[in-house]
Amino acid sequence: MSLARALTFVELELRRLRHDPTEVFTRAVQPILWIGVFGTVMARVRAIPTGGVDYLTFITPGVLMQSSSFIAMAYGIMLVWERESGILKKVLTLPLSRLTVVLGRSLAGAARALTQLLVILLVAVPLGAKLDLSPIALALAVLALLAGAAGLTALSILLATFMKTRERFMGILQAITMPLFFASNAIYPIEVMPAPLQAFSRVNPLTYVIQALREALVYSNPLACLQSIVDISLFSLAMIALATLLLGKIVE
Amino acid sequence: MPGSFAVRAENLVKVYEGTVRALDGVTLSVEEGELRAIVGPNGAGKTTLMRILTTQIKPTSGDAWVLGRHVVREAGKVRSAIGYVPQEFSVWNDLTGYENLLVYAKLYGIPRDRRKRVIEEMLEFMELKEAANRLVRTYSGGMIRRLELAIALMVKPRVLFLDEPTIGLDPRARALVWSRVLEYRKEYGATVVFNTHYMDEAERYSEVVTMMNRGRIVAEGEPGDLAKAVGEGDLVSLSLEGDTAKALDALSRVPELVVVSAKNPVLVRVENAQRQLPYLMEALMGNGVRVKEVGIRRPTLEDVFVKLTGMTVEEAEALGFRGAAAMRRAIRRGG
Repeated sequence: MSLARALTFVELELRRLRHDPTEVFTRAVQPILWIGVFGTVMARVRAIPTGGVDYLTFITPGVLMQSSSFIAMAYGIMLVWERESGILKKVLTLPLSRLTVVLGRSLAGAARALTQLLVILLVAVPLGAKLDLSPIALALAVLALLAGAAGLTALSILLATFMKTRERFMGILQAITMPLFFASNAIYPIEVMPAPLQAFSRVNPLTYVIQALREALVYSNPLACLQSIVDISLFSLAMIALATLLLGKIVE
Repeated sequence: MPGSFAVRAENLVKVYEGTVRALDGVTLSVEEGELRAIVGPNGAGKTTLMRILTTQIKPTSGDAWVLGRHVVREAGKVRSAIGYVPQEFSVWNDLTGYENLLVYAKLYGIPRDRRKRVIEEMLEFMELKEAANRLVRTYSGGMIRRLELAIALMVKPRVLFLDEPTIGLDPRARALVWSRVLEYRKEYGATVVFNTHYMDEAERYSEVVTMMNRGRIVAEGEPGDLAKAVGEGDLVSLSLEGDTAKALDALSRVPELVVVSAKNPVLVRVENAQRQLPYLMEALMGNGVRVKEVGIRRPTLEDVFVKLTGMTVEEAEALGFRGAAAMRRAIRRGG
């Protein structure tokens, strides 16, 4: 079965993480600063209208997605490296469809990104973020994060097919991830942005994932959250389809 | 008829990025059960040929079949029948050997009830049992190669493709890799196609050699027969002091002698070196030529290459260096 084989890539990723969990912790430093320093200071300033939610609680889903998106977007580096080694050549000669490979790798990147949920909760809740931690809310958050991170990983794979060296890939990564973060609803509502930025943030996938995470963890609105997850999934499926079509290019 | 061959290629051409012509019309047939070496200098097109045959890339033009299945139109069926070990390492070095086998077994779709047995069997066969639970990062080059072979052989492929299987390995590790490959072939009657730029390895381990240079096949046949193309007899290499012109002049007067390479060290072929060497030396010294070193040997595939292309393997690589470097870049970038 193809899905079982795709999930093998997730297993691969989890086994690698078990042998070397460094990334989970190094990636946690930035969000800790965002929540612990930026969040607590801005909460005192009370300069940003957050619709009745305290600021720390407001930015926690935003910072969670920022951290997860960085991990997902960096996943392509692995592919750049695997092309230089023989792994990608080998994988492409296995009896697997290109779709299975891309779907599997996308879910694998999402699994890595998902580790940030635990990290952020462990940081934000003790600092005073008031989050809905019911099983339903958490399940929805996991779903939203998985769907979003899988799409971003596919986007990263897509970039890897064009950026053939690690250096170039790192460069483009820097150029994409920070703007996506700042032009989203992560640390301020989009209503306070100037109009052009608002327009951009409405096509920014991060905005929708963060929206879904807020609906699950902050507003406790499962139905609205599910609707957002559907939107996110459409984006992710499109990315996976596109990456599948272009995967041949990475080795051709 | 492509169906009766293990591997069949017809007029394969591959052009990278519209400029680098890696394959320039390759036609090739490998019988089922055959042990075939594809030799040639770096940049000859061996890897490109193998990547087309293993369905990784499409040819610019031409066709190829593996066990009668077309490598482009029936790529899925080809993939289920082949084993492949690329030249670069293809295992995750941050996993253990066992985990690599397990992950690949799942990706191959080996059913759960058979997985463990197949993995144990392969670890045993490749003499990796004791290292199975160590991270691959701690393995030697030879161990990594054997692990990769174990992965490729888990599904008992009918055709095994090996791209430079022993590159960078010491002689003992090379011998161990080969003993495993040959034993697998004996047990399962599999076809083995391997690329190598070690001519001695092709000579020792293959039944048929295909010699390539600059994207074309320049010779094909049993290693012994190919060596005869250089001529029967012995080769004498003469390392000379100074100009070779005087030496060549002297040699031209020695009967039953053929100059194979006129560059220093001069290479000549004689019917029987033991008998003819004294005359040869006499002629050289009589002409005032100083000989620094003399070597006598049987013709090898290297000599065949020299005879067919007019250059040594090293010269071909140096000459093609810019081309080869551009091609390698193109392959890596995927142009």
